[in-house]
Amino acid sequence: MQRTSSLSQSTWIALADPTRRSILERLSRGEARVTELARPYSMSLNAVSKHIRVLERARLIRRRRTGREHFLSFNPDPLTSATAWIEAQRSLWMSRLDALDSLLEAEDAAAPKVPKRKEKSR
Amino acid sequence: MSPQPQKGTVQVTRKFSASAERVFDAWLDPTIASKWLFATPTGKMVKVKIDARVGGSYLIVEQRDGVDVEHVGEYLEIERPHRLVFTLKVPKYSPENTKLTIEIRALDSGGCELTLTHEDVLPDYIASTTSGWNTILNQLDAML
Repeated sequence: MQRTSSLSQSTWIALADPTRRSILERLSRGEARVTELARPYSMSLNAVSKHIRVLERARLIRRRRTGREHFLSFNPDPLTSATAWIEAQRSLWMSRLDALDSLLEAEDAAAPKVPKRKEKSR
Repeated sequence: MSPQPQKGTVQVTRKFSASAERVFDAWLDPTIASKWLFATPTGKMVKVKIDARVGGSYLIVEQRDGVDVEHVGEYLEIERPHRLVFTLKVPKYSPENTKLTIEIRALDSGGCELTLTHEDVLPDYIASTTSGWNTILNQLDAML
């Protein structure tokens, strides 16, 4: 696959999850502490931290430390180009075609209907 | 980086172990299409109407977080199992029509190779702004 686009694989993976998108939406309204971010979701702090790490790897989140406090903010840079949008569309179709492939393979596994005209045992 | 056409074009190629006919039919058979085409893991497919003839239209509606998201379009070319061309619009998120061309080539292995070309995918508001990130997030929500 070409890697000339500004939207990296890690950015795409980060955006592919609805919880992470909603974290970004929250941060786009202003910076927040990790604990504040975790509150609206019915998940553990640990689970939210994992999402945050994925977003940090994708450079979609910045972290600022003040003493023991960590503040997170949204970094839109990886998303701001048209090329990024195009790349997201490409990744989307790749994942849809992956789903199609899995579906067809599951069909084969469930009903191996290759009509080989071999002997029938009935 | 090569310059993008103004309206944006996406092309992806993928090999399948299934035959060209099965891969082709997966786009037009409502039962199969409902399981993958605009399906999301958490969504609920509520309507799949496919009038698989040139000039015919389709309507695929998935409910996502309680909201119906319609995917609509019209078939422009249907040449089983090699070529399928149709338009796609998601009115809830964009009034703009996009165009998809699916080309399927049988391989000696018995499988096939599919090339998808999605034209006009770049909405004007993204092409014309560098701060369309929020829209991008919404669009991803719409399309995933």
